[in-house]
Amino acid sequence: MDKLLAFLHLPRRLWEEAGERLSFLPPFPTQVDSLALFALLLVAGLLAGEWLHARLRWPRLIGYVLAGSLLGPSLLGWISADTLAQARPIADAALGLLLLEAGRRLDLRWLASNPALLRGALADVVLSFFFIYFFATAVVGMAPAWAAATAAVTMASAPAVVLLTVEESRAQGQVTERVVLYTALGSAAAFILFAAVLGIVHVELSKGWLNAVAHPLWVVVGGTAIAWLASRIALAIAGRLPKRSLAQVFVLIASALFAVGVARMLAVPVFLTLFLMGALLALRDERQVLTYTALPDAYWLLAIILFVVVGAALPWREFTWIAGLQALGLLGVRALAKLAALYWAGGELAPAKRLLVGIGIQPLSATAVFMAYEVAALYPGVDRSALLLPLFAAAIMELAGPALCRAALVRAGEAEGRRQQTGEIG
Amino acid sequence: MSGELGTFTHSEALTLGVELELQLVSRRDYDLTRGATDLLGTMDYDGRFGEIKLEITESMIEVSTLPQARVAGIASDLRGLRDTLVRHCARNNIAVCGGGTHPFHRWAERRICPGERFDQIYQRYGYLAKQFTVFGQHIHVGCASADDAIWLTQALAEHVPAFIALSAASPFVDGVDTFFQSARLNAVSAFPLSGQCPPLGSWPEFVAHFEFLRDCGIVRSIKDLYWDVRPKPEYGTVEIRVCDTPLDVNTATALAALAQALCRHLLRTRPLLHAERWQHVARYNKFQACRYGMDAMLSDPVRRCQEPLRERVLALFDALAEDAAALDCTSWIDALRASVVDNDGGASWLRGWAAAHGNLNDVVREAAERLAGAGG
Repeated sequence: MDKLLAFLHLPRRLWEEAGERLSFLPPFPTQVDSLALFALLLVAGLLAGEWLHARLRWPRLIGYVLAGSLLGPSLLGWISADTLAQARPIADAALGLLLLEAGRRLDLRWLASNPALLRGALADVVLSFFFIYFFATAVVGMAPAWAAATAAVTMASAPAVVLLTVEESRAQGQVTERVVLYTALGSAAAFILFAAVLGIVHVELSKGWLNAVAHPLWVVVGGTAIAWLASRIALAIAGRLPKRSLAQVFVLIASALFAVGVARMLAVPVFLTLFLMGALLALRDERQVLTYTALPDAYWLLAIILFVVVGAALPWREFTWIAGLQALGLLGVRALAKLAALYWAGGELAPAKRLLVGIGIQPLSATAVFMAYEVAALYPGVDRSALLLPLFAAAIMELAGPALCRAALVRAGEAEGRRQQTGEIG
Repeated sequence: MSGELGTFTHSEALTLGVELELQLVSRRDYDLTRGATDLLGTMDYDGRFGEIKLEITESMIEVSTLPQARVAGIASDLRGLRDTLVRHCARNNIAVCGGGTHPFHRWAERRICPGERFDQIYQRYGYLAKQFTVFGQHIHVGCASADDAIWLTQALAEHVPAFIALSAASPFVDGVDTFFQSARLNAVSAFPLSGQCPPLGSWPEFVAHFEFLRDCGIVRSIKDLYWDVRPKPEYGTVEIRVCDTPLDVNTATALAALAQALCRHLLRTRPLLHAERWQHVARYNKFQACRYGMDAMLSDPVRRCQEPLRERVLALFDALAEDAAALDCTSWIDALRASVVDNDGGASWLRGWAAAHGNLNDVVREAAERLAGAGG
């Protein structure tokens, strides 16, 4: 053992000895450079995603999450907790851009012209929240405050997963459009509830009302203010540039990253701020200044990092079969709620297709994980066991969600099949 | 009679029917979107204004009026169909617009609609079927007899450039200005059986020609003939197929009015046809009309000279005055005349918005608003 340790320390010893004679050598690096880390995470995720996609036709996202889980602190430990913290700004930027896009898909005009969509969205939010809440209290035995937190964190679909799956499948059609819309609406509702839950958690743990009132206000008002400012800046500058130009793309990304940075500085959740920014861009862009400007394909690179980091952040080490079964139960009632809501909402889409929309909005992922960690960060000393349920539910859905979403789009006939891509006919 | 052709159905002379192929676009970015099958599946429509049906790809929808004796009926049907479609599309977050091509869609992304006929076309023509995501107006004029239908098919051939130029509304393809007023017909030209009906003198001659093509394995039904003007035995009509879908239903109605008045004029005056000579210049004249619109210079194979299409069209309007009055078409033809004089056809309207906005998404948005507009 001693020999092995000596062997492992050999490079460091040689480096330090050389450093005594070579004045230009820096001290032995104890941390991976951020760029090198970015590249390593990117390649690891990319290889896993591409391999699974090529061999099993699985969505690439599953590969990214698996790579993160495998390399993360819970399993191999190649990505340490410190490394995760180092990669967090990149993950925040990636999540921010994806949530920005989800916010931009919040199409209230469509909602106004189709009452069935509003019925479906309301039913989805209400049923999902209460089914999960009752499951968490009655079956798992959680305290009401934590059950409400669990329901708020897990009720909504995952915008990042849905958008990336739609893009990967090159899906287009009514099921796809509704999956994206319900995901955006569900996220909006989840974020409002999340702010309320912050207050509840403060009441539960600190017994003081100041934080309970001030923190949700800080989150909502701060997030809205940053989003408003960033969207105004984006529209003001982009309005002077040609529509759909590369310059506009840069303005959009730069404004979004500015909002991410300010949100991080002021301890306002990035996902909430960027979603609001996207929604404001969708609602306030009367002259279609940025409406047609799409994010470049390069944001896939950020998405890979995001899902590797999310995979690494999943607490697999604390996994128990009981917790796993409880998480499966939660996902079961959540699925039931979503399917029932969309079936009941009616509308012009055939019932079978409405159920496919219900399957398409099953993903639960990065946003939930980040929300859970926001709650956990409030009182680090407090037992985190209550957060394991949403985290395990997210962990299971990290793997099942993209597959379910893709399956729904394929079944609806809206995904680009292999036959279409190869141009094969007959 | 030929089994595949069936007998020529009798219909009242000069009755009208119009088919419009329309674009289904996303209200988010105004690119073409796949939505035709879902749209039809979710429609609550009783057919009072005519039919709404699938076309070759999921990004197209076809509307067709009921047969009408007068053009006012066509106007009413087209407005009813337009309103029905716009209302149902809004519930699916889709907009509808006219024009002969979508300015910037990527043909490879198009999806063939389900159905045996569409699948056969896709298997037969491959990528051409997807590139056939272009949008035309077809005008049917009723014929009292099969021989009249063949005669009109020949007589209308020399007027094809006028219909092309008056309806031209497809200047953009693949995101670029093609310099054409109507680029749509270039997509149709790729099909082996597009072009002109050969010089045939009677219905039996047409049947013999069709049987010859069938025996050579070239056609199986009349639908395989993508001619500019063709007889349509099952409806008892002659069909003009060269128009771009106009940007509003009023222009579509006006073109139908012109076809009706012209057919009446031709049947009434029975001019001497020089079908074989016109055959020699047909492709050139068609190119001129597609490329230059009203500024085209046409070849006249009978007088062996060139003449400006604009002058020809204005002279034609004058010649049709009596027939237009008899058919209550005068105001519609006057609207076409104003468009020719003011030079404000569909293609220049689209180019004007492209210049004003600097992008094509907004051009399609304007086109969708124009089609949906109360006046249009």
